Amino acid sequence: MAIIERPSTVPALPGGDVPQFATPASSYGVFRRPVTTTGWRSWMFTIDHKKIGIMYGVSAMFFFLVGGVEALLIRTQLAAPDNTVLSASLYNQMFTMHATTMIFLFVMPMAAAWANYFVPLQIGARDVAFPRLNAFGFWCFLFGGIFLNTSWFLGGAADGGWFMYQPNANALFSPTHGVDFWSLGLQITGIASLTGALNLIVTILNMRAPGMTLMKMPIFTWMILVVQFLLVFAIPVITVALFLLMFQRVFGAQFFNVDAGADPLLWQHLFWIFGHPEVYILVLPSFGIVSEVLPVFSRKPLFGYKFVVFSGAAIGFIGWGVWAHHMFASGIGPVSVAVFSVSTMLIAIPTGVKIVNWTLTMWGGKIRFTTAMLFAIGLIVEFTIGGLSGVTHSVSPSDTQQTDTYYIVAHFHYVLFGGAVFGIFAGFYYWWPKIFGKMLDETLGKWNFWLMVIGMNLTFGPMHILGLQGQPRRMVVYPEKLTGEGFFNLHFWNTVATVGSYILALGIFMFLVNVWHTTRKGATAPLDPWDARSLEWLTTNPPKVHNFDVIPHVHALDEYFHLKYEEVDTDAGPRLVKVRTAEELHEDQEANADKNIHMPSPSYWPMLVAISLPIMAYGIIFSLVLTVLGGAILLMAIFAWALEPAVADASDYDPPPQGGEPTMELANV
Amino acid sequence: MSGVEQPVSTVRRVKQRSAIAVVVVAAAAVLGGCARNAPQDTFKPEGENARKIQNLQWPVFVVAGIVGVIVFAVIIYVVIRFRDHGQEMPRQTHGNPTLEIGLTILPAIILIAVGIPTVSTVFSLAKTSDTQCVVNITGQQWWWEYEYPVQNCGGVEITEPLVTSGELVLPTKVHVLLRITSNDVIHSFWIPKLNGKRDAVPGRIHPLRMEADHPGIFAGQCTEFCGLSHARMRMDAVGLNSADFSTWVADQLQPATKPTDPLALQGEDVFRTQCSRCHQVNGLMEENPDGTDSTKPVVAFPDLYVIAGNAPNLTHLMSRTTFAGATFDLLTDSCRKTLLDASPEEFGALYLKGVTPECFNEAELREWVRNAPAKKPMYSSEAQKDENGGKYRGMPNLNLTDDQIDQIVAYLLERK
Amino acid sequence: MSEATLVEVPPADDHPVHDDHGGHMVTSTGLSNNKLAMWLFLGSECLLFGGLISTYMLYRGRHTGSPGPAQLWDIPLTSVSSFVLLMSSLTMVLAVSAAQQRDDRLTCLWLTVTALLGSTFVGAQVYEFTSFYHEGVGFTTSLFSSSFFTLTGFHGIHVTVGIIMLMSLVGIISRSKIPGDKAEVVELIGLYWHFVDIIWIVIFTLVYLIPA
Repeated sequence: MAIIERPSTVPALPGGDVPQFATPASSYGVFRRPVTTTGWRSWMFTIDHKKIGIMYGVSAMFFFLVGGVEALLIRTQLAAPDNTVLSASLYNQMFTMHATTMIFLFVMPMAAAWANYFVPLQIGARDVAFPRLNAFGFWCFLFGGIFLNTSWFLGGAADGGWFMYQPNANALFSPTHGVDFWSLGLQITGIASLTGALNLIVTILNMRAPGMTLMKMPIFTWMILVVQFLLVFAIPVITVALFLLMFQRVFGAQFFNVDAGADPLLWQHLFWIFGHPEVYILVLPSFGIVSEVLPVFSRKPLFGYKFVVFSGAAIGFIGWGVWAHHMFASGIGPVSVAVFSVSTMLIAIPTGVKIVNWTLTMWGGKIRFTTAMLFAIGLIVEFTIGGLSGVTHSVSPSDTQQTDTYYIVAHFHYVLFGGAVFGIFAGFYYWWPKIFGKMLDETLGKWNFWLMVIGMNLTFGPMHILGLQGQPRRMVVYPEKLTGEGFFNLHFWNTVATVGSYILALGIFMFLVNVWHTTRKGATAPLDPWDARSLEWLTTNPPKVHNFDVIPHVHALDEYFHLKYEEVDTDAGPRLVKVRTAEELHEDQEANADKNIHMPSPSYWPMLVAISLPIMAYGIIFSLVLTVLGGAILLMAIFAWALEPAVADASDYDPPPQGGEPTMELANV
Repeated sequence: MSGVEQPVSTVRRVKQRSAIAVVVVAAAAVLGGCARNAPQDTFKPEGENARKIQNLQWPVFVVAGIVGVIVFAVIIYVVIRFRDHGQEMPRQTHGNPTLEIGLTILPAIILIAVGIPTVSTVFSLAKTSDTQCVVNITGQQWWWEYEYPVQNCGGVEITEPLVTSGELVLPTKVHVLLRITSNDVIHSFWIPKLNGKRDAVPGRIHPLRMEADHPGIFAGQCTEFCGLSHARMRMDAVGLNSADFSTWVADQLQPATKPTDPLALQGEDVFRTQCSRCHQVNGLMEENPDGTDSTKPVVAFPDLYVIAGNAPNLTHLMSRTTFAGATFDLLTDSCRKTLLDASPEEFGALYLKGVTPECFNEAELREWVRNAPAKKPMYSSEAQKDENGGKYRGMPNLNLTDDQIDQIVAYLLERK
Repeated sequence: MSEATLVEVPPADDHPVHDDHGGHMVTSTGLSNNKLAMWLFLGSECLLFGGLISTYMLYRGRHTGSPGPAQLWDIPLTSVSSFVLLMSSLTMVLAVSAAQQRDDRLTCLWLTVTALLGSTFVGAQVYEFTSFYHEGVGFTTSLFSSSFFTLTGFHGIHVTVGIIMLMSLVGIISRSKIPGDKAEVVELIGLYWHFVDIIWIVIFTLVYLIPA
């Protein structure tokens, strides 16, 4: 709504003028709009989807390191039986916050980072539909995450597990404020997810470049679309659950008070109705990334694009009907168990379709083993392991043996680390040149990849054995007498897993080294370093503020590839020939650049609205005075936001080049 | 650089292959490198229900393994065969619908083959109509209580309700129905060799069937996260043959014996003043002013002191082999090993001997009586009690003197 | 998808890169961004109320020792206030229609009437809550009361937020300071308002009319 474009009524001159920018000078707000384009202000108040994407990424990686340290502490404690590195209380907080951090503060925002940065670029748009809402979402996530983690210093973090089962998370059984921080913090990050989802759905549905039908959309954008729909419908369910929990703990409501007749399974149902779609929310963006990476480095289109799209959508639908497979041991009765077993098996089919299509994408290709590609292939392999162990859980009688053991921990780490995280890292290596204009070092990249692969398999592989041989999860200690006999006893495998986790950490450290190295003296990225296929590569590295000098008209799936390559008949039959280089395409863009591109203007208000939320949340925990203060800030900032023109006033703009009065006629809502 | 293919260096190829080697070795290690005799192994059923699960799960694991191997083989083939070795730009094939529909139907068929036995096993495991014995099981932070109602339990008459904790004693080859619930938070009852797990949810009663093939001890563990000492909330199931079970029931129904040892006699006094508020000992009588026993039994009222409203019944503590939520052994390591290694025929007699003075693991029980929360994390300090409206979660530190500890331990040692 | 050719042949048409230069931005779906977002948001809200209603339905019979629905409901009063809320949807439609005819005065009038009707509803709810409280049923009394107050409270807050938006809109329109397309903003708030009404119909039916 806020992207203002005016027609270039003057024919473009050969060679092209540099596109003009106009930033609105005045607004209805109390303050002048923050118009600086450099320095910290340009980041704090930005509404540019690319800057917001980068900020999402940096913050998510910070939380990744926090969650990683928590994981290392957990593994250190479990290196040997009856270890004493962590107390029981600290250990419980540690695994609760490890999961919470990795899910809500790393994988989800990291997916939001990719989506924010690349969805507009992939669909040929200049920004998202609601740029200020986008900024608001980011700040909600960041402030929510920081709020959540301040609990460490304010009496202890949540200690009920990320699933926070009732009544164990009641005030009686979890008397610190940890669970309050948890429920309120997730409420705030939930707002980020919800607004982000609304924004991206509208962006994808409404702002595609001319000619880009849904079935010509890049697969990453498709997967993001599915994920955002999942978020729109999953977030309100966890919101209800979190409200019930908060009302219970803070205001003395009865929802989970068994003495009053409450049913603790209510929480489980609400949580998992959110929680299972959440699994797909975490993993589908990465599926999208590797579905971009595999074709590029196999030099073939994605095999069965339509199948991949529909299987993604099918996962999105069936994902709503499988939640109770987290509750096979909860006592929901044999009929429910049987039904959810079958539906869970059903979801394996579309998931299998993806594995098959990825493999067939490589089949007959011309595979280049760049780091990005290695991570993508790594994802196929590791995710297959996680998927197959997942199928064994759908066999519910078997699951009653393995649930809540390390076998489950192994399973979901293969899915989430081998799936989601590998996809994210494939994205780093593939898109880094696009975002920062420099190539990540491939040698360091290979170190990064191999250390991570070896580390993750050493960490999570032995957990299959540990679980199948009876080691339950969430246990601060395991006694020596339960570890069995022989050299390969459970003590041995626990030690292996711990060593593996340190190797894994080293792999991630190599990534940080790579980033540092690249930033200092990385090679400048060429326009099209990978001979890529989708529209984002039509822009410069990094893209200009307005992304595209001229919005492309899309004719085909893999539009960018088809701009470069054409089929030519030769004596030896039809052959693909490169007809245009990336440089030529770029020159073409600049030559035909739109005039007078008006980008949305920065704003204070999204951040201010967002910061009022943790203030209110601290108030709920410590003193209602703060809540009132936060509420006042919220109300004021919302009004200021609403009154600030989404579209700047006509007087903010220069008169049109052809003369006449400044006008808002062409500024769209 | 676009359009120009870089040849894949041999170094990369070697790396690729060494990666494959690593995967193969890792897989071999995973398959061959399991612990022997892990007490909670989920693939070693020793009862009918666990065997039903086993018969279902191992083919599933094998099929999953085969599918995995095929997928990996294909991926390895593709990665080697279609690496960039200077070949031409490949055909831009967008797919092959027939192939894909085939590859969608194939897993569907496999899953149908898995689904049908799964559903039938679910209902078979849920069957309760052939129940021969009922035990009520209650979880609380952080121990399990077992109550045997008045019934004919697989041929053995139980004439009065019988309460025990830590060790679930079952007659072998009898279909026992466990009725599982909880007094506080959710726990989960799991004896892997006998059946899968079932959550103990406050306010709900969940059925779970068990049947042990032979006499012996079957290890178990609470598997739903239940707070501070979740890791130390353990339990064992003990199988006894019909005759031994009958003896066990008769023993358990006996009231406590009057201490004989002078130290234990003093211990009885200490127990009355310090322990009996929460811990019931059947047959313990209140003391007359002259020091003799009255006819008024001492009745514990743990609901006034602990949030779970319950504490283990200690009448026959030394008939068990563990204490404090089956966390710690009452038997010394060597005696415990003898018991665990006993043949099914010998096991019952050995178990029914209970804890003899020479097998008594005194050190740990002493530490426990001295300062329980130091040994097993609980929420039972005085400050925490005040937060909780005057109730403990778990056993507090009673600040007993060394003499009192000696006396109590002597008293407890006679609780056969 | 044809196997015979190596690449998909681009369609022959060659539109100018921007066909939206005539004025309004052409969205791919034809729906305006704002409206699409509002519909999605309302879809999300359905699940929020779905969760709260499910909680209430599960717990409505659990009120041992304290009055339950049968003792508390004052159906005539609630029917009247429900009717008032329904009428506010009608006046909201009139406001949207006036806004589309660019009649600011009439728009403000109908918006104000809508807000007043909404306030009447909220007033009745406050009265109801107070009387329940005096009958000994507070937020923490029983499972029934906790889930009842949470469900209807959430709805009441939605109505209240709606009233604030309506009154703000009146203020902004009368000062002609509204950014963007006025008629659309009125319509968007109208969408929200109707949604809140529809939810109340569901709540009224499930909570008040169908006996536990």
